[in-house]
Amino acid sequence: MKNNNAGIEDVLDEVLQSYPAKSMKNRKEHILVKEKKKGKHKIKANTRTIPGIITNRGCAYAGCRGVVLGPLKDVVQLVHGPIGCSYYAWGMRRHQGMAAEGGKNFINYTFSTDMQDSDVVFGGERKLKEAIKEAVEIFNPSTIMITATCPVGLIGDDINSIARQAEEEYGIKVMAFNCEGYKGVSQSAGHHIANNNIMSDLVGIEDKELEHKYPINLMGEYNIGGDAFEIERILDKIGYDIVASFSGNGTADQIKYSHEADLNLVQCHRSINYIAEMFEEKYGIPWLKVNFLGVDATIKSLRNMAEYFDDPELKERTEKVIAEELAQIDGPLNRYKELFEGKTAFLFVGGSRAHHYQNVFKRIGIETVVAGYEFGHRDDYEGREVIPDIEMTADDRNIPELEVTKDDKKYKMRISETKKKELQQKMPLDYYEGMIKEMEDGSIVIDDLNHHEHIKLTEALEPDIFCSGIKDKYTSHKMGIFSKQLHSYDYSGPYAGFKGHLQFAEDIAAGILNPSWSYINPPWKDNVELKGTIGGVK
Amino acid sequence: MSNLKRLNVNPCKMCMPIGAAIAFKGIEESMLLMHGSQGCSTYMRRHMSTHYEEPIDIASSSIDEEGTVYGGEENLRQGLKNLIKLYSPKVIGVVTTCLAETIGEDINRIVVDFKKKNDVKDISIITVSTPGYGGSQFEGYYLTLRKIIEQLAESSGYKSSKVNVIAASLSPAEIREIKKILDLFDLEYTMLPDISRTLAVPFTEDYSKIPPGGTTVSEIKKMGDADFTIEFGDLVDSSLSTAVYLKNEFEIPAYRLPIPIGLKNTDKFINILAEISGKKIPQSLKEERGRLIDTMIDSHKYNGEGRAAIFGDPEMIYAVSSICQENGIDPVIMATGTDLDIFEKKLKELTAETRVNNLIFSDTDFEEIRNYVNEYDINIMIGNSDGAFIEEKDGVPLIRVGFPIHDRVGASRQQNIGYQGSNNFLDQITNQLLALKHNNYRKDLYKEYYQSNNDKKTSQKPEELKVGEK
Repeated sequence: MKNNNAGIEDVLDEVLQSYPAKSMKNRKEHILVKEKKKGKHKIKANTRTIPGIITNRGCAYAGCRGVVLGPLKDVVQLVHGPIGCSYYAWGMRRHQGMAAEGGKNFINYTFSTDMQDSDVVFGGERKLKEAIKEAVEIFNPSTIMITATCPVGLIGDDINSIARQAEEEYGIKVMAFNCEGYKGVSQSAGHHIANNNIMSDLVGIEDKELEHKYPINLMGEYNIGGDAFEIERILDKIGYDIVASFSGNGTADQIKYSHEADLNLVQCHRSINYIAEMFEEKYGIPWLKVNFLGVDATIKSLRNMAEYFDDPELKERTEKVIAEELAQIDGPLNRYKELFEGKTAFLFVGGSRAHHYQNVFKRIGIETVVAGYEFGHRDDYEGREVIPDIEMTADDRNIPELEVTKDDKKYKMRISETKKKELQQKMPLDYYEGMIKEMEDGSIVIDDLNHHEHIKLTEALEPDIFCSGIKDKYTSHKMGIFSKQLHSYDYSGPYAGFKGHLQFAEDIAAGILNPSWSYINPPWKDNVELKGTIGGVK
Repeated sequence: MSNLKRLNVNPCKMCMPIGAAIAFKGIEESMLLMHGSQGCSTYMRRHMSTHYEEPIDIASSSIDEEGTVYGGEENLRQGLKNLIKLYSPKVIGVVTTCLAETIGEDINRIVVDFKKKNDVKDISIITVSTPGYGGSQFEGYYLTLRKIIEQLAESSGYKSSKVNVIAASLSPAEIREIKKILDLFDLEYTMLPDISRTLAVPFTEDYSKIPPGGTTVSEIKKMGDADFTIEFGDLVDSSLSTAVYLKNEFEIPAYRLPIPIGLKNTDKFINILAEISGKKIPQSLKEERGRLIDTMIDSHKYNGEGRAAIFGDPEMIYAVSSICQENGIDPVIMATGTDLDIFEKKLKELTAETRVNNLIFSDTDFEEIRNYVNEYDINIMIGNSDGAFIEEKDGVPLIRVGFPIHDRVGASRQQNIGYQGSNNFLDQITNQLLALKHNNYRKDLYKEYYQSNNDKKTSQKPEELKVGEK
């Protein structure tokens, strides 16, 4: 990497100069340089994408159907709309799912009403009803989730009443999500919509006597490349019982009685914090911000969990498992650290991974010099304390806020207010600190990075590793920079937990140490001095 | 569709705008802007990137909820402004999506206004209406080519000796092969679109934001003067055919051909080149042809055991079915998600002489394909990566061709056309059939001679195959 600390402001100026005036003004507020002595940092986030700049952001439908609902194994995901939306969301996020014994698994499926011209003109309600009927007859699912695409809201198909009718008619759960692509400013709107309906229509509709000692829900973990499998293995080893997972390797059937848990673990704050908060309000279950990516973050998360349940035996087992797992990977990780020391990374992922992966890199000697979210909000950057200061925009108001109240029958106070206050001194209980606080001085924070900014920042900073997704992976490769996809893991993983960290380090090594990089400078470039005159002829 | 009339389960098609995107990627110095919700461009960039292994940069006008009420015009204007400032393209494609079409955006008017108000003179902005519910990627691709020609091609009054070549959605390597063959006949031509470099960019030290290569605007403008048009699109409706348009508008004779995969299809192509160039078929091509026939004869005993399911884009299915048919690999199932009337007719004609009755489906999905793959003892599938699910669940091997190939590398380097490409492609199919044999023959022999009758696999091929009902 170039030593550019002094010139970072110049770099950013150059990035911004290329824009028309109006866009420059807008983008300027989405970029900042971390400066510890400055104290609080303010960034603009979750605002409208500037048209025409090649953003990486997706739509509300993608956030709803693709991210939050997609990983639920036992659900028929019925997309009401033209074929593309269903097609493009089909098996693309690498969320893995293993069917429970006797359970159904529709992870490999996508269902669509395949709307045609005439449906847009005359309405698609009849088609949707018939599609539901066929889905019930052929696949016999316990839950169907109908997701709306752009035309649906515009032509006014009432998917909600169709879902209600179908639910009565077939005696199964049928849910409707008004997640038309144009809603909100990114896929984040879709997360919110999915959260709302899951909370209002699915959570708590069944009760179950749990025999678990430490019942927990895992939230905002999407089992990319099998991350959830590894997390489940560790939690199981310690003695935790996962009641429900929202939503990697999860099922709708489990979510129905997930209010019986005693603690909610929140991995990706952005996509699931709405549900976590509502759980507390309605059922009295606090949430703990965890991070199972990276050994150090995992250890911290596990210790916080044990502290929450405050059981000496559990604490002891936690330490035992940590020691056991660590013993297997600590040595190799240290060797990778020596190998990677001094290398730098550029992270642009999602609404949480750009933060979560910083400790992963740090542990193996790699410094994060740029980090940004595609669809994060200010609280994901600055911490939850900033929420009261966030201005509501028209786009925010278009996503209904679900008001939940205490469920008198099912509410159970898990810990006292005093105990909670005490714990909050020690751990992120009902709290997320955001990304910026953990970043080093002089590093760049950038929201909603686009193609142009990716190129300019790469040229200026020459990072060794670029982490994003498939859309900018090849841009990075064309610039001669190793890229590791943190959305899909490039068909690898799991990266979570202890062994996952080692797997990640191995993949990074296999990437940056691959001999192919040594051939990207053509031989004639290194032999420039051979150019000259021979016999007076150039 | 036969069973599932309203429910599409695992689609065997995509939507129109992605076809438009592939077409525009073959135009020099071009950028594409999708007018609608930003999810569309993001999804399509994602799918095209995995297939071509290249950066695919498509802009969006990012219409939001307010835009659905007041119209997306301001978004489109701002999008065009930013795109021009950041990329300085010579061509901008503006295509619509479901959202823009449903709210009734008039992109032609908006673009005309925009050009006038901002004094845009040196940039060709081409508009194409591609609602996602208006057809599949197949229609989107051909419609876009036609709109590019409708909006750019002119007649100077003087005829040139050039040949217009309207390419099907092939791989960059295949486009390079077609160009090589055209060069062998010393023909001057305009390839539209030309993705041979734009979607397979060689690594150089200087990365350029818009990939190098593609058909130039000046070449496209002159396509109205050409001597002939060759269009790879035998199943394309005449309303979407660029060749038909050029014929009607500029009286340019049109040859509409299937993709040159297999002996017959390549012969058609080569004979036409010989005819229009007035040149003899070069010796090198004759030898390639001879080698292909040599392979066909040598491999026939293995190919004779092939029972294939072929799916994907209609034009690709036709070409693949053709090479299967001429090599004795029964194209038992031929299925596309695209709703195309002529599909059944053309494929019936093609396979009229095969020994089995073939199942031909348009407007189908992978659930139906899967059912028939299992029912009719298919031992090889040929199509895009979306069949991988059947390969995984039912163990029927899949040879990946067409778009998209997202679970293997090399899609942009695949070369299955011409005599030489067909030869390689045929070897790939034959080898897959041989692999089946080698992997299974011990097990089969054991079952045949040592296992008790009760355990024997009882399934036998149905005596008479049903004709696919539509």
